[in-house]
Amino acid sequence: MAEIPVLKIGDCLLVSIQVDMHDRLAMELQDELTNRIVADRARGVMIDISALEIVDSFIGRMLNNIAAMSRVLDAVTVVVGMRPAVAITLVELGLSLTGVRTALNVDKGLALIREAIDDPGGALGRRER
Amino acid sequence: MWAETRAAIEEVSRSRAARGLTPSETATFVFSLKEPLFDLMRQKVGKDADRLAEEIWTATMLLDKLGLFTAEVFQKSREEIIARQQRELLELSTPVVRLWEGVLALPLIGTLDSERTQTVMESLLEEIVNSGAEIAIIDITGVPTVDTLVAQHLIKTVAAARLMGADCIINGIRPQIAQTIVHLGLELGVVSKGTMADAFALALRRLGKTVVDRSPEC
Repeated sequence: MAEIPVLKIGDCLLVSIQVDMHDRLAMELQDELTNRIVADRARGVMIDISALEIVDSFIGRMLNNIAAMSRVLDAVTVVVGMRPAVAITLVELGLSLTGVRTALNVDKGLALIREAIDDPGGALGRRER
Repeated sequence: MWAETRAAIEEVSRSRAARGLTPSETATFVFSLKEPLFDLMRQKVGKDADRLAEEIWTATMLLDKLGLFTAEVFQKSREEIIARQQRELLELSTPVVRLWEGVLALPLIGTLDSERTQTVMESLLEEIVNSGAEIAIIDITGVPTVDTLVAQHLIKTVAAARLMGADCIINGIRPQIAQTIVHLGLELGVVSKGTMADAFALALRRLGKTVVDRSPEC
C-alpha cells in the first residue's frame, strides 16, 4: 500500500487520497484501513478526497462500505472536502452515501469526529438524525 | 454600396424589433418603396411595355431580397433578446445569500426545472466551498407548485449539499404544497421549518449561537 498513506493522529486515522483511484487501489485501501483501525484501536477515520476529481459508482460504494465497516469496528468515518462536481455526479448516480458523515474540510471533520466520540449517546450523529 | 444599404436596413430592423413591432410592419417598411419606385419607372420609361416589365421585375427581385433580409434580421434580433432575457432570468433567480458566518440562504422563486436546478445546485455548492458554510437554508416560499420532478430536484440538491458536508433546512412550504407532497408519497428527508425566521433560528442554535434581547438599561 505505497500509494495512499494512512496517517495516525491521536486516535484518528487520516487518509488523504491524492491519486486517481482505480478499483484495485480502492480494495487495497479498504483492506488496509480495516486492519489499521483494529491495530491502532482508532476511534475515527477521516478520508480526505479534496484532490479527487473523478469518483465513479465503485469508489462511491467503497466509501459507503468503509463507513459501514468502521462502524462495525466502533470507529466513526467522515469524508471531507468533496468537490461540488463530484457531489453532483454522485447524486446523479443515485449514490447519496446516506451512511457516511461528511464535512467541508479536515478541520470540521476532526471536530465532527470529536463530537461523535465524546457523545456516544448521539452516536448516530446529527447527520443521520 | 449594398453593404451600406444592408447596414442601414439592419439597424432599422433591430430598433423595430427592440420596440416590439411585428415582423410584417417591419417588412412593409421595405416593400413600401415599391409604389413610388414603380411610379418613377413608368414616368422614365414611358410607353415601352417590354422594357417597363423588365425594369419592374429587376426592382421587385431586389426589393424582395431586401425585404427578406429585413425579416431575417428582425427575427435574429428578437431571438437574441429572448436568449439574453433567459440568461438574465437564470442568473437573477438563483442568488445565494450569506445570512451569517456559516449560514447560507437560497431563496428560490418560480418553477424549478432541470436546467434551473442544475444552476441552483452548482451555485449553492460553489458558495458552500467559498464560504465554508455548514448550514444552507432553502426557501421555497416563491415556488408555486411542487410535483414529483421538483421534489426530486430538491432532494438532489439537499443530498449534494450533504455530501459536501453542509446540512440543509427547507422553509416556506405552502399548505397546498404540503398536501401535494403527502399525497404523492414523497419524502424530502430534510428538516422543514415554517418561515425563514424559524429556519434561521434553528441554524444559529445548531452553530451554538443564541440571540438575546438587549436589556433596557443599555
